Amino acid sequence: MAEIVVTRVFDAPRERLWRAWTEPGELARWWGKRGWTTPPESVTMDVRPGGEFSLLSVSDEDGREMRLDTTYREIVEPERLSFGEASVTFTDLGDGRTEMIFRTTSEMTDEIRRRAAGGLASAFDRLAEQLSTHDRGATR
Amino acid sequence: MTDQLTTTFAALADPTRRAILARLAEGEATVNELAEPFPVTVQAISKHLKVLERAGLIARARNAQLRPSRLQGAALKEIADWLGDYRAYWDETFDRLDEHLRDG
Repeated sequence: MAEIVVTRVFDAPRERLWRAWTEPGELARWWGKRGWTTPPESVTMDVRPGGEFSLLSVSDEDGREMRLDTTYREIVEPERLSFGEASVTFTDLGDGRTEMIFRTTSEMTDEIRRRAAGGLASAFDRLAEQLSTHDRGATR
Repeated sequence: MTDQLTTTFAALADPTRRAILARLAEGEATVNELAEPFPVTVQAISKHLKVLERAGLIARARNAQLRPSRLQGAALKEIADWLGDYRAYWDETFDRLDEHLRDG
């Protein structure tokens, strides 16, 4: 299991960060990769331990959908929240800026696991391809 | 396939094994050469090598007496690519958060 840690400093007060992470209308405006939209009505955020956190990401390109469906574990307003395998902490830097540390593990979603397994599978496919190409070359 | 990935991650979870991989990235080495920089026995290094081999991260010569180990690139590259993708996903997401905060 690999851990991914992302540290960012934002030019915004900690309470502002907290809202961006805990209000559906806010989160829907920035969540996900570029090219993917989060319909605000798809977001469920029951921000308390054991509460539901789910949303839909829709590809602008082809309408493909990716669903996040997880549960909040820990809520300490405004400094820390965690859900599923991820946790986020916010530190007030005292000058109007906020440091955010986001941690997650490689096992966060089934989607990611499937993609990773697919990656290994395709590596083996390529290897098989290479070997068969080599065979054909040898018999020619 | 997922099991292979789990095995690979478990193998990568240990700092000594990661250091061994880093050393092997420079070229093949025998178990004695690999043991040199570490305050552990050659037997301990041998165990680590078995774990790395099972995970498909290294290959060891079968017939040579010293059985030098070398890196097997494919599994590592898949892991690196995948982690890179995953990291890029969050980097991009937080770029958007940054823009959102700037917009007010």
